[in-house]
Parts: sequence; structure tokens; C-alpha cells
Amino acid sequence: MRDAGGEYAGRMRWPRLGQDVAIVAWSSFLVASVAAMVCFAFLDPLLVGNDDYPPPAFSSRMTGYAVGFFFFWLVAALSSLLTLYLVRTARSDHSDRGAEEGTRGPE
Amino acid sequence: MTEAHEHVEGGLYAARQKIYPREIAGRYQSLRVYAVWALLGLYYLLPWVRWEGRQAVLFDLPARKFHVFALTLWPQDFYFLTWLLVIAALSLFFFTALAGRLFCGYACPQTVWTEVFLWMERWVEGSRSQQMKLAKSPWTKPKLLRRGAKQFLWIAFALWTGFTFVGYFTPITELAGKIAGLSTGPWETFWVLFYGGATYVNAGFMREQVCKYMCPYARFQSAMFDRDTLIITYDERRGEPRGARRKGADHRGQGLGDCVDCTLCVQVCPTGIDIRKGLQYECIACAACIDACDEVMGKVGYPKGLIRYDTQNGLDGRPRHVARPRTLGYAALLALLAAGFGYAITHRNVVGVDVLRDRNALYRERGAGLIENVYNVKILNKDAAPHEFVITASGIAGIEIDYGTAMVAVGPGEVKSVPVRIRVPRAELHGGADIEVSIRTADASALEASGKARFLAPTH
Repeated sequence: MRDAGGEYAGRMRWPRLGQDVAIVAWSSFLVASVAAMVCFAFLDPLLVGNDDYPPPAFSSRMTGYAVGFFFFWLVAALSSLLTLYLVRTARSDHSDRGAEEGTRGPE
Repeated sequence: MTEAHEHVEGGLYAARQKIYPREIAGRYQSLRVYAVWALLGLYYLLPWVRWEGRQAVLFDLPARKFHVFALTLWPQDFYFLTWLLVIAALSLFFFTALAGRLFCGYACPQTVWTEVFLWMERWVEGSRSQQMKLAKSPWTKPKLLRRGAKQFLWIAFALWTGFTFVGYFTPITELAGKIAGLSTGPWETFWVLFYGGATYVNAGFMREQVCKYMCPYARFQSAMFDRDTLIITYDERRGEPRGARRKGADHRGQGLGDCVDCTLCVQVCPTGIDIRKGLQYECIACAACIDACDEVMGKVGYPKGLIRYDTQNGLDGRPRHVARPRTLGYAALLALLAAGFGYAITHRNVVGVDVLRDRNALYRERGAGLIENVYNVKILNKDAAPHEFVITASGIAGIEIDYGTAMVAVGPGEVKSVPVRIRVPRAELHGGADIEVSIRTADASALEASGKARFLAPTH
């Protein structure tokens, strides 16, 4: 009888940087999709910057949607990145301060 | 080390061993097959359905109009979409509280497309053991042929999926013609390849990794569970201690539980977990282990349901409460929202008006002691029929309106801008006042709408 638990054991993970890039890109993509949808439900890209002068900011609606989406993606990615950075660099547990090597213990 | 350890794959997120789910038949698997046919049938056929000379379901982004059969939705109708999303979210809460991850197992696009890709893989490469053997074999001609055929099927199916996706946003018959003539525009090409590529990668390679690493629902669904939620569980009290036994042996006498430790529940699992270790967030509730275990229990002559849908209370031998305040509350709220949505969308106002002041002049003094303001009145006709509109103004005594003709004709699904002059006797007004501009159809439909505007006059 084969060891069932062991059949798929021994998985390795991606390097941390790869995981971070993937998490940031994916979660901000989801948020940007929603943001772009809500934004362009209320805003017609052809009317952006079209206050008689200067000329319209976008040549076609599809261009406007695309620029809007990538803008949202960028902004959301920056926010995710900052969040992840703060979480990753925070001290993980205050109770064992000084227990790790290279950190100073309580006076 | 078991044989499976030798082919660790470089997965797309976590380096992983490819999981080869064993094929299994059973009542839940039949249900899943029906779900795949129903959902994908709907997806692939819907864009081809015609309605009154146009595509029945078309989300026309360049024109900012969504057609859904007889309905035409405008950006102003956005709240219907919001409403629909609230209903969708509430349905998810309801079904999760009731029976766990039903959505994941039966309806999630990730599961559904993965299932179809698995069918193609099995059709070309054979059963689980044949696939594992093929993966280990050197690159001989038969392997090249089988792998090539699988890739061909996958890519063709993925491209068709991408084409169908774009067919919801651009008329699909025209798109088919453009693809046949290789003359698609840059956006169409991009989205066909993007959606097709996403399908290929997600359903062909990422599979359960999407559920494990990318899906937010997998992480928070447990918050909606309680002790009365139906989940897929292994009856530990009945099954343990597990172990092999001779057929017909008195296993209770040997101190064994009902689990014969055949590991079929692990082999059929598309996410590669062992349900006997308890509820895990990787479990997508596909119920393949239930079908596998029931089959084995039938063969060895034990009662079915060692792995089954049950609640935590049920497992502990307490009474089950499937209908309870939480599920009943969700159901009532859901019914209320759905009924409200149905009513609102069938009774929505299909005409609308926007009144914009002409920004070039505050007011003009006309003869006979009248003050005139000029407006641009935009009439929206969201109805499927053309209408003729009469415009009226109110709010100040002696107000008159002049828009050149007696009636304004607006075609179905059109917006018309009408320059309108409104005049008020000077004696009635100093400074400014709010007025109301109304439109009404002249025919029997008697549709109406109104908008507010500011009327300006000299202060002295």
C-alpha cells in the first residue's frame, strides 16, 4: 500500500521575490478591473479634456478605456507593493524581542 | 520516495508536482459534467443568438450600450449592474453557509475549463497511470505525437474561447468574418489572444494552483462556515483506524475502522489533498472523493458515506440544522433583492432628459419685457421604439418655451440635443430661480422625465 500523504509531498515554493511580484500584480489586476468598470460607467473617455479646448485626451473610447485600466493597475500595484513591503518588513512578533540573532534584547 | 517524486514540475507559481487526478464516475461527477455542459454551452452559444435583427447579448463598449435581449442598458443604468453584483455576492454567502464551496466545485470558470482540459488530456494521453508513464518516458515518436495532439486540441479550444469572449463585445458574425480574412483590429487580436492565452495557461497548467494561490474566495470562505454548514468530510469516528484487510474479514474484531486505506480519495483529488486529514482550504468541494469512496465501500460491502456531505454537528452525532436563522435570513434577503431587481428592470424609465445651460450667455433681454435663457436639452430614448417628444418648462409664472418645432422625434436608442429658448416676464424675477424642464411622449405610451436647471435674470 502506497503512502497516500507522500504522493504529492515535497513541494517547493517559488523564490520570495517571484511570489511578491505575482501577489502584487494579481491582486492589483483584480482591483483595477473593478475600478475601471465603475469609472467608465460614469465617465465617457471621449469627453475627458474635451472642454472645447484643449482637444479630447483620447482619440477613441477603446484607447481611453485601455489607458484608464493601466493607470488603475499601476496605482493599485503601488498600493499593494507598499502594503506588502510594510507587512514584510514589520517585526513579526513582539513577544520574542531579542530572541533572534542580531537584535537587541530588553535592557 | 514514491515514483511520483521523480517528476517535480516547474509550476507557474510554486514549483510543484503535476497532479494527475484519477478519472472517477459517480453521482456527483455526473452532476459536474452536466454543470460543465450547461455553463460552457451557454457561454459558447449565447453570442450567436439573434434578437430582432441584432445580436441578443452584446456589450457594445465603443457605443456605451449593453444589449441583453429586449433590454438596452445605458451607462445611466449602472446601478442595475451594482444591484446584480450585490445579488451575486449574497448568493455566494447563502450557498457557502448552506453547503460550503458549491461554487468552486460546480460553477467556477476555473474548475469548469480545467475539467474540459482534463477531458482532452485523458482522451489523448489515456488514463492516470498512462499519463504518468508517458510523462516519464523519453521523447519518442509516439510521445511527441500524443503531446503534440494534446497541445493542438488545447490551443484550438483556447483560441475558440478567446474568440467567443471577444464576440460578447463586438458583433460575433463580423468578428468571425474578420478572423477568416485575417483582418481583425489590434484590440480584437489582443483580447482574443489574451483571453485564449489565459484559458490555456489557467486550465492547462495552473489548474489547482489558481485555487490555492490566487483565489481570494478560497481564503475567506471559511468565515462563512459554521457547525451546520454541509461540507465534504471523512467520518473519522467510523473510518479509523484505517488499514488493509482481507476480504470478508471481521475488521471490527481486528480493531480496524471502515477505511481500507485504498488511497483512491487522494488519487481522484484534483488539488492533491487527503480529505482524511480534515477540512483544508485547498478543497474545492468537487466531491470526487465521495464518489471514489462510495464505489469502494460498495465493493467491500460496507455502507456508503464514509466520505460524505455532512455538517460538523452531524459528524459529532448532534442534530443537523440545514434550515437555520442564518440560511433562512440570507434566502429571504436574496428573494427580496431578486424580486426588486426584476421589478425595477421591467419598470425602469426608458426616457431621460439632461438640461445644460448655454455657457456663452447669462441671459438676454428681449422686447416686451422678457428675459431669455438658452439651454441645450438632451433627450434620451432608451426604448426599443421611436418616440416624438413635447418639451415643457415650469417653475416661474408666465414661463414660455421655444424649440422651433412642435415635437422632437428621437429614434430608438438615440440621444438628441435640442437648443431651447426659455423666456420669463422680467417683472416675475430678480436674480435667478430654479426651473424644471419636462419631456413627455406625444403618443399613447405617455413616457415622461424631467430635469432641473437654473434660470438667470438681472438682479435689478
